[in-house]
Amino acid sequence: MSTSAAYPPPPPFYKLYKDAKSGPDPPPPLPKGATYTLFGATYTTDDVLPSLEEQGVRQLYPKDSNIDYKKELRALNRDLQLNFLELADVLVERPSQYAQRIEEISTIFKNMHHLLNCLRPLQAQATLIHLLELQIERRKQAIEDIKMRRKEAQRMLKEAMEMLDG
Amino acid sequence: MDIITQLQDQVNTIASIAFNTFGTLQRDAPPMRLSSNYPEPAPSSTNPTEQPPDLTEQTMNMSTALVQSAKTFDFLVAALPLSDEKAQFEKIAQLEAENEALGEELQRQLEAAEEERNFLQELFELAADNCLNMKKSC
Repeated sequence: MSTSAAYPPPPPFYKLYKDAKSGPDPPPPLPKGATYTLFGATYTTDDVLPSLEEQGVRQLYPKDSNIDYKKELRALNRDLQLNFLELADVLVERPSQYAQRIEEISTIFKNMHHLLNCLRPLQAQATLIHLLELQIERRKQAIEDIKMRRKEAQRMLKEAMEMLDG
Repeated sequence: MDIITQLQDQVNTIASIAFNTFGTLQRDAPPMRLSSNYPEPAPSSTNPTEQPPDLTEQTMNMSTALVQSAKTFDFLVAALPLSDEKAQFEKIAQLEAENEALGEELQRQLEAAEEERNFLQELFELAADNCLNMKKSC
């Protein structure tokens, strides 16, 4: 498939979809391999949040499978305020040594954002739980509704039969 | 807006207040005498009676804003509704099983209701036909 031409021809599999009468359209094939190219950029099929080490940032909170997110975020916030005070102090006393403080503050911010990004899958799971609960409620309501209507229809039929017999 | 987005925005707010604070302090700080060996600077050629701007109030406001934004962040962190990931997975599996069972029950009820509807429709057609025939014969 030509991807680098200025006006590339349409992909050849368009012929599979042109006739609406020949039954349901074939589903698109699954991507081959772990990476794919889209508009010149390479993406992976596995969307995983890269760890701080992979991004070349020092991790300030402990490496544990069960992280207490609230405690670590609060600790990072306190660290941040402390570093602001130290930066002010350094700018007054030893102005040439600002770079290390700025680097430390930058690392703390990156750690905070990374922790917040790690919370997103948990948020997705909580949203899924909420959606499933709503769907269960709707299905229960629909079942009750149908049962009630069936009972009503059977009652009316029985009354009509009794009227005809009587 | 969800709580995680609010937390992310708050982190960015803390960063912007911090660099505005330090930038303003650096820009407006009066010159400092480094050593007594250096001569006094010449008086400014602009208005010599001009008073240097009062930084105290501005500094107080900026530092208050910085501390306030940090406290808001702590408040938002306390409001996070966190639960155990393993417990969430178990809850999802349980809800999916319940949803599946209810789906099957709903399907059964729908099929039974469809059958009854068809039966009632046939009865109604029969009754309507008989009514018409009776009227014709009268």
